[in-house]
Order: sequence, then C-alpha cells, then structure tokens
Amino acid sequence: MGIENSIRTLRFHHREMTQQELADRIGVTRQTVNAIEGNKYSPSLEVAFRIAEVFGKPLEEVFQYVAKPG
Amino acid sequence: MAGNPEMNASFEEKSVWIQLVSLVAVLGSYFAIAGLMLSKGVTVIVAYVPLFFVAVVLLVVVLVAGHVVAALASKPEGRDERDRLIGWRAESNSAWILAVGVCAAITGLVASIENVYIAHLLVLSMLLSEVAKNVFQLVYYRRGL
Repeated sequence: MGIENSIRTLRFHHREMTQQELADRIGVTRQTVNAIEGNKYSPSLEVAFRIAEVFGKPLEEVFQYVAKPG
Repeated sequence: MAGNPEMNASFEEKSVWIQLVSLVAVLGSYFAIAGLMLSKGVTVIVAYVPLFFVAVVLLVVVLVAGHVVAALASKPEGRDERDRLIGWRAESNSAWILAVGVCAAITGLVASIENVYIAHLLVLSMLLSEVAKNVFQLVYYRRGL
C-alpha cells in the first residue's frame, strides 16, 4: 500500500489515547483504526480528515504517500 | 504504546463467520441428502419441498442463535465504512458464480432438462456465490484491502 501514517505515534503523544477512544471520536470501529494503523486499509477522505482533526494536525502530518519503487 | 495492538474480530467479522459456517453446515447437509435422493432417481420436485423448508427454517434458527451468542459475547458496534467496502468488494468478486448458475439453468431449460436439476442448480449457485462472498470478506478482514 502506498499510504503510510503516523497514527500510532500521534496516539502516544496524545496521552496514550487508545484505539477505542480514537475510534469512538471518528465514528468507526476499533478494528478499523487498527487496520488503518497497520496500513491494511486506506480510510475515506472524511475519516482521514476526522483523524487529523482529533490530533490537531494537518492531513499530511498524519498520512504520507510513499511512492512504490519501480 | 497505548491501545491493544491485537486485531481481534469485530462483530461484523464474527457475523460473516456465523453466516459461512451456517450456510456450509445447513445447506451442505441439504445438498448431501438431496444428492442421495437424486441418485436414487427421485426427480419429482415436490419431494424436495419439505426438506428444503426444513433447511431454510434451520438456517434462520442457526443464524439468529449465532448472532445472539456473538452479541452477548461482545457488544455489536455497527457497520462502518470498512465493513461496507469489504462487503461490496466481496460481492463484486463473487457475483459471477450466481450469474454462471443462472446462465447454466437457462441453458438447461432450453435443453429440456428436468426441473428438479434446474432448481438445484440455481440453489447451488446461490449457495456457492454466498460462500465465496463470505470467504472474500474474511480474507479482506485479515489481509486488508
């Protein structure tokens, strides 16, 4: 997948916010937060913006596009 | 680091497992018995109606019981965008099985094959299509989209 994220680090820096807390604040399940963190699922733009809003960061600080080699 | 890093199953994923196991167990049993009846030369479609009725009722009972147990074990969270996307993609990958079954059934009708075979071909293609959908869903839940 070409999209990576810093959610795990951001949660840590936000008083060790749990996946469940983040999930409740953005309106998805904890498993979906887990899948996003593990780069197994790229969220919709709406959810991506909600995550950035929770951490008070611009979108590009939360999600990064990593070009695949070749 | 905060949060449980384990990817334990959501209620939706458990629901897919319940559907898969129920379908394979109940309709698999139906086809085992129906196959035996067909091999013995029972080609009157009415003879299969009670068996099919029992299978459908049993399927509903097993599905309801399975979902009640799953709901008691962990609170259902409701579907989110990932569950919906997984469902759509799995359906898109498995719908061709039902389409092939319908085309084969139409061909069978044109070729004047007995109705009992046509009916079972349609039910079988529905079953296989649904089983394939459930398998795709479980793969997407585990491996990611």
